[in-house]
This record gives sequence, structure tokens and C-alpha cells, in this order.
Amino acid sequence: MSSIKEKFNQISPSEFFYSNRDLAGFSNPTRSLYTAVREFVENALDACDQKGILPDVHLTIKAVDPEKPDPKPYILTVKDNGPGIDAEHIPLAFGTVLYGSKFGLKQARGMFGLGATMAILYGQITTNKPVVVKSSVDAKTQDTFELLLDIQKNKPVIVKHTSKEISKKGLSVSICLEGDYSKAGNKIRDYVYETSLITPYASITFDDPKGQKFSHPRFVKEIPPPPTIIKPHPHGIDVERIRRMIVESQFEIPTIDDAMMEKVRKDLGLSVKKLSYTSIMEKAKKKWKNLPRQVRVVISLMSFLKMDFEKLNKIRIEDIDMPNKKLFYWDFGDSQSKSIDMDPSSQYYKQLTNTVQGEPLTTFLTKRFQRIGPTTAVKFAKFAGFKPEKRMGTLTNQELVNLSDSLQKFDDFMAPDSSCLAPLGEEPLEKGIKKFFNPDFTAVIQRPASAYSGFPFIIEMGIAYGGDIKSGGPHVYRYANRIPLLYDEGSDVVIKVSRDTDWARYKIKGEPPFIIVSHICSTRIPYKTAGKENVADRPEIERELRLGLQFLSRKLAAYMSKRGQADMAKKRANLYAKYIPLIAEFCTELAGKKKEPNYKKILQENSVEDVKVTKEENKIENK
Amino acid sequence: MKTSKSKEKSRIKERNKKADDKQKNILEMLKSHGAKIYDDLDNGQFPKFSIPSRSVGNIVYDKKLRQYILGNNAALRSSRNSSQLRSFTQLMWLAFFANRLTHEKKSSTLRDVYYSSQAFAVEFEDQSESDNIIVDLEAVTSKPREDFHIFPEERSSIFGDLNIEYTIPGYEGKTMNLSNHPDGYSIGPSLTTAELVDTSAEIVIAIEKGGLFTRFVEEQVDKKFKSIIINTGGQAPRSTRTLLKRLHDEMKLPVIVLTDGDVYGEHIAMVIKSGSANAAHLRELTVPDAKWVGVWATDIEKYKLPTIPMTESDIKRCYDLQKDPRYQDGVWKKELDVFLRLKRKAELEAFSKYGLTNITDKYLPQKLELAKSL
Repeated sequence: MSSIKEKFNQISPSEFFYSNRDLAGFSNPTRSLYTAVREFVENALDACDQKGILPDVHLTIKAVDPEKPDPKPYILTVKDNGPGIDAEHIPLAFGTVLYGSKFGLKQARGMFGLGATMAILYGQITTNKPVVVKSSVDAKTQDTFELLLDIQKNKPVIVKHTSKEISKKGLSVSICLEGDYSKAGNKIRDYVYETSLITPYASITFDDPKGQKFSHPRFVKEIPPPPTIIKPHPHGIDVERIRRMIVESQFEIPTIDDAMMEKVRKDLGLSVKKLSYTSIMEKAKKKWKNLPRQVRVVISLMSFLKMDFEKLNKIRIEDIDMPNKKLFYWDFGDSQSKSIDMDPSSQYYKQLTNTVQGEPLTTFLTKRFQRIGPTTAVKFAKFAGFKPEKRMGTLTNQELVNLSDSLQKFDDFMAPDSSCLAPLGEEPLEKGIKKFFNPDFTAVIQRPASAYSGFPFIIEMGIAYGGDIKSGGPHVYRYANRIPLLYDEGSDVVIKVSRDTDWARYKIKGEPPFIIVSHICSTRIPYKTAGKENVADRPEIERELRLGLQFLSRKLAAYMSKRGQADMAKKRANLYAKYIPLIAEFCTELAGKKKEPNYKKILQENSVEDVKVTKEENKIENK
Repeated sequence: MKTSKSKEKSRIKERNKKADDKQKNILEMLKSHGAKIYDDLDNGQFPKFSIPSRSVGNIVYDKKLRQYILGNNAALRSSRNSSQLRSFTQLMWLAFFANRLTHEKKSSTLRDVYYSSQAFAVEFEDQSESDNIIVDLEAVTSKPREDFHIFPEERSSIFGDLNIEYTIPGYEGKTMNLSNHPDGYSIGPSLTTAELVDTSAEIVIAIEKGGLFTRFVEEQVDKKFKSIIINTGGQAPRSTRTLLKRLHDEMKLPVIVLTDGDVYGEHIAMVIKSGSANAAHLRELTVPDAKWVGVWATDIEKYKLPTIPMTESDIKRCYDLQKDPRYQDGVWKKELDVFLRLKRKAELEAFSKYGLTNITDKYLPQKLELAKSL
């Protein structure tokens, strides 16, 4: 007798991520501890970057019970000197999934702050302890929250909230989670170490559970220029995105109430309370350019109604029928509906059309995308089979799909704007490599910006040889948007490019002491997996990496050949110094002489200068 | 009586002079090489010399000499070339060391040479490196290392009515008959350099194996067949090949070789007859008239000998030797082909099937008879 009607339950984002935590890098205690560290450190660095603050990041991992064997609960705390988060936003920011401030198109380490929430969720699931967030935005008061996530409702539960006085700005997040430091320790230390190489302007300390302290002070005082937020490139867009952009571009007809009229009055700079319709319109005409959209719409309506504020107060707009050029309104005084015809040649008519039907296609393109000017917009409209003045609000679903497809296919758009990218820069990169490896040779390069599928990217690369570098190279340090990538090395595009390189061609043989640093900056890194540890081999990216590596390899080859010559000359001189005296000794007795020959001449001549090497098997005819 | 005594004395004198002359030649040659190097150094030049190439491409078979010799290719060894400097110095040291050995009439072994180098700050990685340098010296001077008093470790032995007279220091003029000790005499430096005085033997029988050598002595093969018996102990060492050559050349004795009935035995006989590619830089080590009398592949069938199957490497060796110019005719080619057909081999001991003395009583006489017609 049970109901055959199926029951559909809405699944909350929290629940969704709970059942998909493997995707986000929380598959086991080892990986989870590492991922949690990553998410919080990256959030801290991003927060400082955005406000142009030189980051001081303190990472602490402490075992709840040091005697217990791994895996066991750890307390992970990350503290920064960033801008902090307003107390009112904290519960939502840390107690719900999909809340974050990192929207907009520009390069950042993470997106939407999703990972941090996942870490908190993981901590709560494994230890049932709240997350502790301490934040100060003004360097005066610090708010401390203890929060739990209500997974079913995707809502924060505030366990405790206190405030106290403090003298420093910044955020501190502390979670308790099940982890395995004995296994994850190496990767975490590598992560901190490698992060400090690509973030030379940050000071990062790490107190590990065994009481060891790792300190990476900043060695560059300037923050690289922050990225700007830019409009999307037409190649990197889809139907859903266009739909959202159209909604954003359309405005509702504002309700004309007292508050709105007061705003109009203020924006027009009207001091006199009672003003005639004509003088209002005159004033509006003068100030038109500076008026906000809402006010313009009100003025446009007034132009057809021919009413002043007093009269306007007694009606309500019912409908604006653009195709029939009619305006309907309800008159409170007469208690009846009335309509008037609108003059389509009026500039006010155009204003209303824009509002109701959206912008024309060409305006939409030039205003909302990067790299599209009026000429390109018209050309594109022709390519896509639309009238340039086609109103965005009147597009059917099929037309939307066509538009989206055409945007992808049209080849005449300029390459994406790269001002949204924040590469580290050649100088800090070189400085970092020199400090970390104390190498005999270093070279760095920043390739010009390029793009794949409408997403701009920049490749930065460095190469170093000798010094403190261990042999067995090349060891590749991979970075994407200033994040070190430590897992899944095998299938990464950088590794592929390095493996494809015939190092012998660049005079590098055997197991050389040599490293490659590769940094890919993009608004969207094409990760192969959700774990975000390896970059897919997009042809455009592979090409840039190849060109960068070739450039650096040539420089290294030049150095190696110089070094090789010097080494050879030195080695040869040493060999002569060792063997020639022996030859002299033996041939003296052999020749039956008493005094040794004067071989010093040879040694002196060959002590420093280069010697031309004779061919090994210089065949001559015997007899 | 008096005349014979003085005759004897002058003979000894002459012999000593001959030995002295040989030594003098060696010393002169070493000295001239040394002087050239000395002058180069003194003139501020990197000393160099040329050395016959021992690469496979430069080893050719000389039909007239009936042995492998080195072709005309030579390599320049220069002390200027840093990759050759080390071996150059090693060779210089070896010449220097050989010079001392020859002067002092002291003998040494390949292993000695390897260790002696360490007293002079000349290092060899291992013995094979020093052995290689010794071959270099042989190639440059065209003299076997025995001339420089450097002898191999391996020993083979000799038995039979042969009177010799030692020339090594401390034994000069002392004589010895090589049939006095039934275990035979090992062929070392003193025997190789001894004068061969006289013999009643009419033939030399070289035999591959020590066991058969003992049997031959027991069965008095030396007396029954007026022979000198030599145990080559497998592939004949150079000193043994030198002695075989001298017995043939100086005492005018024919040499026959008896080996196991397999491809390796056949080649042991061939090396005694015409040398090996490894020693292509040396002459004077071959007995071109030496005859291989058995055990042949055809003997296996003829005498119905117990056999064992050939291994894969035996068969491969057969195919290799088929390409050798020396195996293109006569008994050499014929037997090789039969071995390949049979794919089986027989040892000398196989004759024991017919009784322990069958080999000396029956087989040997037949083969000696046959040898006359070969």
C-alpha cells in the first residue's frame, strides 16, 4: 500500500559536496590534511594580494593527542595579516557552501572560496568540532566565532560569538580534522617551501606537529601589480553566461514612489519644491549625460505623460507596450485605466526601448565584452546572421544558442586582454631561484600573453644549473596561478614538454644538477582533474611552454659550453701537470740520460690557455 | 777430449753471445724509443708515436706467412691528447719497467706488472688494463712480451729426451735432461729461454689435456715413438708456442697435435699452426708445418666413440670458423663440416671405452702413420 509516487528531495550544496568530497581532494587523511593546508594558505595569500598587503602567513599544525598513532585529529590554524572579514559576513562565509567574494574574471589562486568550506566540512565530519574564526577588519576589535555547518540546510550554526580588543588586522581560521602528518608531512613542507619561492613577497612560517619550525621570510619587498577585473572574451563564453549577462543589462521599470521622486529631484539639483513640467524637462535635458539610468527612465515616462511631480503622484504605470507604442497607466483620481501614444522619434522613446527590450546586439557586444569595437560588432552581427540593432531582450532560445556558437567561431576578435593576469615577473622569479638554489647559472623568461579558448594565459619559466641543486635533474617545479603543484606529476603538460626535450642537444648529459621552474598564469587553468594538480596539454599552452623552455635551454647551452671549455682546459692542464713529469722521468732512464728533459715549457704553455684537441684516432699511413 | 771440451766452451760462449745480442737489441730499441720521447720533451713538444692499429678491420690473413698479421693502419698516440695521456704514460712506464727487467735479467708475470706499477704513481684500473698496455708495447716493438721478461701465469709442461742448457742468471751453463722427472717439466721463463742442446726424439706430440699427458708418460710414448710430449693445457700459452716453434725450427722436429674431438680442439691445433687474431701483431709464434691428427670428427664415426651432444655455443663456433680463411680447405674444412653434420663431440678419454691403453696402443700409431702423408 505504499505510495508509488516517487519522492524528490532537494539536495543542499553541502550535501552534494559531502558525497563528492573525493573530487575536492579530501579522499583520505593524508591528502585531506594537505588539501586543507593548501586551501587556507591560498585564501590568506589571495586576501592579502587583493588589498596590496605584503602577506605574513602563519601555519600551525598540532596533534590533539601527540601520543596517538596516525591518522589522528590535528588542529590546523592559518593566520594572516590580510583585510579580515566583517563580523556579519563570517557565519555565511565559513558556515555555508558557495559563499565567497572571489567573483569576477581575474587571476586568483582559488575560486569562490569553495575549498576552504570543504576543508571545514571535512573537519566537522571527521572530528565533530566547530571551526574557530577570528577576524579583525579595523585593528581595533576582533570577533571570534565558533561555527558548525548544518549540512542538511546549508546554514551556519553559531556555537559561540565573542569580541575583544586587538591591535592587528587579519584573519585566523582554525579547524580540527582527521589527518596523517607522518605521511603528509613531506608534501606539506614541500608545499610551504615551494609556495615561498613563487610568493617571494610573502613571509610564511610553519610550526609542524613535531615542534619543528620552518620559516621562509620574504626577500622581495614589492608586490607584483595586482590583476584588474576585466570583461569576458567572446571565445570563452557559453549560452548560460550570455543569458545572465542579458538579465544584468535589462532594467525593470522603476516604481515611481516618493523616494524615487526625491531621488530624481536630487539628481536634477532641484531646490524648489513645486516646479512646472517644462522646467523639469529643460533641467533634465541639460544634465542628461550624468543622470543614472533609473532617473532617465522616469524622465522619459514623464516626457510622454507630460506631468509634473504632483500629477505623477496620482497615477501608477501599468504597462509599456513598445510594439504598439502605447503607454498604459491607472489614474487614481478618475479611477480608470488610460493610455497614450508614444512618439517613436523621440529620444525618450529610445531610452524606454533600451530598458524594456534590452540593448541592441552591437551595444551589448561592445559594452560587455573585451576586445570588441563597433566595427567588429557589426561585422560579427553579419557573420552570425543578426541585425546589428537586434534587441537582446527579444532573442529566442534558439537565437541565443546561435549567438553563442557564432561567438566561439568568429575568428576576427582580438586576442584576450591579459591585464587580468598577475605573473610574478622575471626579476622576482630570478631572485627567488637564486636564493633557493644558489645556482651557478640562472635564466628566466616571461612569454608574451597568449590565449586558449578565450582564456588569456602567460607562461613564466626559469632554469637553474649547479650550485646547491642536487643531481638527477631536471627537477621541475610546477606552478599554476602561484600555487605549487605537487601531485600527479606524470601527466602534466610541463613534464611532457620537459621530457620531450633532447637535453643532449643543449650540452646537458647524464644526471645533471638542474631545475626548471614553470608558472602558468590564467583566468582559468585547464586542470585535468578536479584535484587541480596537473595541467592538461592544450596545444596553445604546450606551444608557449616549449618556446619558453627552448629559449632558456639555449641560454643554458651557451653557459654549459663556456663552462665546459673552462673545465676542459683546467682538466687538461691538471692532467699535463700530473703525467708529463712521469713521462719525463721514465724516458730519462730509458734514454740512458742523467738529467731530466726540460718539460716545464709545455706545462707553462698549457697551464691556462685553451688547447686545440687533436683528433682521437688520427690515422696515418704507417711505412 | 781437450778439443771437445774447448769446443764445448766455445759453443757455450757462442750461445751466451747470441743471448746477449738478443738482449742488446731489445735494450737498444727501448733506448731509441726513450731518446725520441726525451728529445721531444726537451724541445718543448708533446711526445708522440704511432702504433699499429689492432682493430678488427686492420687484422688480415697473410697467406704467405700462413698467419694473421696487422695491416697498414696505424694510430697516432699523442701525449697532447688528454684522453690518451694516461695510456701514453702507462706505456712509457711499461717500457721503462721492461728496460729494467731486461737489464737485470729478472722475469715477471702479467700480474706482477699490474702491481709493480703502483710503486711509480702509475695506476691501472685492473689487470686487464695493464695487460692491454703490454700488448701495446708488443705492437710498437713487434716483440713478444717474453722478450721483455714478462711471462704469463699459465703453465704447460714438457717431457721427453731433450737436453737443455739454462741461460737465466744463476743457472747459466747448467744442463738438464727433460725425461728425468715423470711428471714433466713446466714450461716457464727458464725453459723458454734455455738453449736446446740435443735430443733423440724424432717428433713432438702436443696434447691438449694433462690427464692424457700423464697416460702418455706412463705408457712411455716418448720411448716407443721417439717423441717429446707437451701438454698444452687447453689453448697453448705463448711460451709453449714459442718452444714448439723452436723445437721445430732448431731441432728440426715435426709437430703433431692431438686434441679433443670438438671444434675447440680443432682450433687449438690451428692456433699452434698459424696463430691467433689476438696476436696478429707478433710473428715467430707459429708452427706452420704443425699437423692436427685427431680426434677428428670422422674418427668419431670410424672408431665408434662415445659422444656427447654439441652445445649451442659449439655450433655457433663452427659457423664462425667456417668464415675463417684458414678453414677453407683440406682436413680443416672437412672436419668442421662433419662436426656440423654430427652435432656431437668426443673427448680424448673416449678411447678408454676400448681399454685405458687403447689410445696409445692403437689410435696413436695409426695417426702417426697417417701424419706422414698429411
